[in-house]
Amino acid sequence: MQSANMFLKKILRSPALPFVAQCGMKKDLLPLSRSLSLSLCLKKDNPCNHKEKLDLDAWKTVMKSGLPEVSSETVSEHKELSTLAAAHKTVEMWRLAGRLVPENITEEQLKTFMEFSSKSAQKKYLKFLHLKELYKKNNKRKMDEKRERRLETKEQASEPDEARRNSFVCLWASCMDKAYSWRTAQSMIFGQPLVFDMSYEKDMSAREVANAVRQMVFSEGCNRRSADPFHIYFCNFKEDSLYHREFIKHYREAWGKLLITVTDQCYTEVFPKDKLIYLTADSPKVMKTFDHDKIYIVGSIVDKSIKTGVSLARAKRLGLETAALPLEKYLLWNIGAKNLTLDQMMHILLTLKDTGDWKKALEFVPKRKYFGFVSQPIHELKKTLSLVNTLKLGRRHEELQKQFAKNYSKKLTRK
Amino acid sequence: VEPPEMPLQAEEWNRLKESFRSPEMFETVMFNSMIKCNSPIDVAKSLLTHVAKSDGDVSYNLLVKYLALCVQQGQTSEIHDVYDIMKRRFKVIESGAYNLLIRGLSNSDQWRMALTLLEEVKKVMVPSRTNYESCIKAASRHQEMNLAFELYHEMLAKDLVPTLDVLQAFFDFSRGMKGAELQKELFGMLLHLRENQIYPRKTFMWSIKLWFESIPGGNWRGHLTHIKDSGQCPVCNHQLEDSDLTEEEYNNLREKLVRDVIHGTDLFRKTSPQEFQAFQTFVENRLPFDIVIDGLNVSHINPRKMHCENLFDALNCLAKENARLLVLGRKHMLTNSSNWKRDIMKEMQNKADFFFAENISEDDAFLLYATLQSGKHCKFVTRDFLRDHKACLSDSLTRHLFRKWQRGHQIAFSKKNFLSVFIQQPALCYDCVVQTTGDTWHIPYKDTLEEKYSYRVPRKWLCIQRKK
Repeated sequence: MQSANMFLKKILRSPALPFVAQCGMKKDLLPLSRSLSLSLCLKKDNPCNHKEKLDLDAWKTVMKSGLPEVSSETVSEHKELSTLAAAHKTVEMWRLAGRLVPENITEEQLKTFMEFSSKSAQKKYLKFLHLKELYKKNNKRKMDEKRERRLETKEQASEPDEARRNSFVCLWASCMDKAYSWRTAQSMIFGQPLVFDMSYEKDMSAREVANAVRQMVFSEGCNRRSADPFHIYFCNFKEDSLYHREFIKHYREAWGKLLITVTDQCYTEVFPKDKLIYLTADSPKVMKTFDHDKIYIVGSIVDKSIKTGVSLARAKRLGLETAALPLEKYLLWNIGAKNLTLDQMMHILLTLKDTGDWKKALEFVPKRKYFGFVSQPIHELKKTLSLVNTLKLGRRHEELQKQFAKNYSKKLTRK
Repeated sequence: VEPPEMPLQAEEWNRLKESFRSPEMFETVMFNSMIKCNSPIDVAKSLLTHVAKSDGDVSYNLLVKYLALCVQQGQTSEIHDVYDIMKRRFKVIESGAYNLLIRGLSNSDQWRMALTLLEEVKKVMVPSRTNYESCIKAASRHQEMNLAFELYHEMLAKDLVPTLDVLQAFFDFSRGMKGAELQKELFGMLLHLRENQIYPRKTFMWSIKLWFESIPGGNWRGHLTHIKDSGQCPVCNHQLEDSDLTEEEYNNLREKLVRDVIHGTDLFRKTSPQEFQAFQTFVENRLPFDIVIDGLNVSHINPRKMHCENLFDALNCLAKENARLLVLGRKHMLTNSSNWKRDIMKEMQNKADFFFAENISEDDAFLLYATLQSGKHCKFVTRDFLRDHKACLSDSLTRHLFRKWQRGHQIAFSKKNFLSVFIQQPALCYDCVVQTTGDTWHIPYKDTLEEKYSYRVPRKWLCIQRKK
């Protein structure tokens, strides 16, 4: 007993529990556990320990202490804040509050930011800038790392290369470019035309136009690199339109040297009407084969707000034939809209032109949009589908399915 | 992480921080969980102290989180202190912190401070509607009704839609008060509900009822009731407004429909000019119809039957009493196929007028046009809710008109008991909005228990009448 008491006293005197030591001393017969739990709730109810109380508001004094020099110099500045600067300040504060906001913002971006009418649009725009900034930073970091690694390998492999004595001249990028240009130039004389309809500017927001132009730059690139390029036409192209300005942003001075035909005429003025086929996902007609004598038109529109039937309406107005890709026929569709990006369209059309193989061509549809190709015989497909359905809907559905199958076979025999 | 139960010393915070997997996020994560667990603010203070002492500064982010904790617990003096510090340290405060400050202060006895903060917010941006909500509630709680109304009108002038809570607060806090001006304001709010086709919730309905009954010398009495299908109130025998549009509204709706739904941005998107022209002359030569039927929609009612059989049944049901029918369909219905038998189609064409649109045209737009052209008595049959067409209308007023007209003129039918299918779920003959005659008010309300779809109108009403 004596030793246990001694032990208790020791604990109570320890610095972690100074408070308990004061009031618990008189009752040293208390069992250990009880005194500890008591101290816990006492402490919660009554944090009147002098040392603690001083501590709790210490942060305020720290925060206020640094203030005078900060506030004095800004008082005069504060009054003449222009709206632009005020917006900049709020954006800055949002960043401090941990919202998704870019670190650096240009004056131009601030102006667009202020032009948005709704708060959610402003928020979205800031997030967009933030992500853009993040990508840029990451890219830069990766580039730096790569450069360092290259330098290291260079130092290590300083002895002369054996490849130097190779009799083939290495084809550098400029030579490749020359070869590609030859091919494209040839296609401008003999190649099959492919028209991009550039009349959708008023249906799109500025960002959608920028995206469309980016996609067109991609598709021009892959056309140039292909074995048998199309002769690309940009029809309905207005001088100094938003399209034009975006293109110049991408190509700079190369814009004048591109091996494509750009015209402000409509395709109906350039080509005979009966040869034109407008490709649109809304078309009721499905494309069966790629026709080498026809001229296909692709609407250069990015519609994030799902405007159905815009391009179909255009084709209807001009009385053109329309066609859609046979996506349903070859692919088990999963999610996503049936409209594809312009560069995917270009890849698909190029492959079709070269091989006529739908399966190969439709490889360029994004994988997330479909489960797989409709390759196996139809009855096997039905089996898996019915399996999926039974798993989803239970047994009852299976019976319905059987009934349906019976009816179906009846119909077949009747015919 | 779980926040500690009592304030910790610096070393203890350090220890906790080191054991955390990403120490640079430690304070943020800890504060978030403190807000979630509603920890005592002393714990938060001790962490702030620790941060301030080790870094010499507390970041804005942490201050806002601390502020959120204080607001959550109604610690007014702390809110004040944080505001002072923020104001001096950062010059500009962003909207998140203002929201918290206004919310926190409006619930305390220093609610007037929230008003000055609201003024401050106005200098930089448009305050949110919840900002106004807190201030209005605070003002009306302290019986400053004039101030509350002033804020309310200011809010409306800024195109902010008041929350139902704000309106309810007005009814709650002006209970038993006298004043013609006040009464006019509150009646105005009820008319606001009427104009926007908003139905109050049950609790709000009680506030309205109690307010009416508390008007000194008003002699108002309220009763909860169901309105009969005929549109008569069982309590006061008053006949509710019918669902017909006025002549002006009707013409307005018709014009807007042609302009926005059929023409839209491009007439070619839904039809073509030739086709629309042909349809217009077709309709004008045969006007007026009594019922317009969406042929394709009706033909899919019963999947076990052939499409044309379904349509045939529907026509037989509807063709009573010499009603003039118009069926809208597409050209593909005319080609003899397994679902569309030519002889049945021929027989049907004797009973009703048919118009076949191109296969890629939208027949719904024609349906609406034909019904509206025929006049107010004409009804239409489809299961479609026509949401996409309503969405094409450009302003909300016309959309409300469209919904009202649709409620009165669309005949829906259910799949069950196929024989009685076309003995319609009757189109409502009375208008389901807040309405008044001066001596009576009828207010439809949502029951909290029953779930409500946007297309369904409430069946429960509050009837208020003045006893002479």
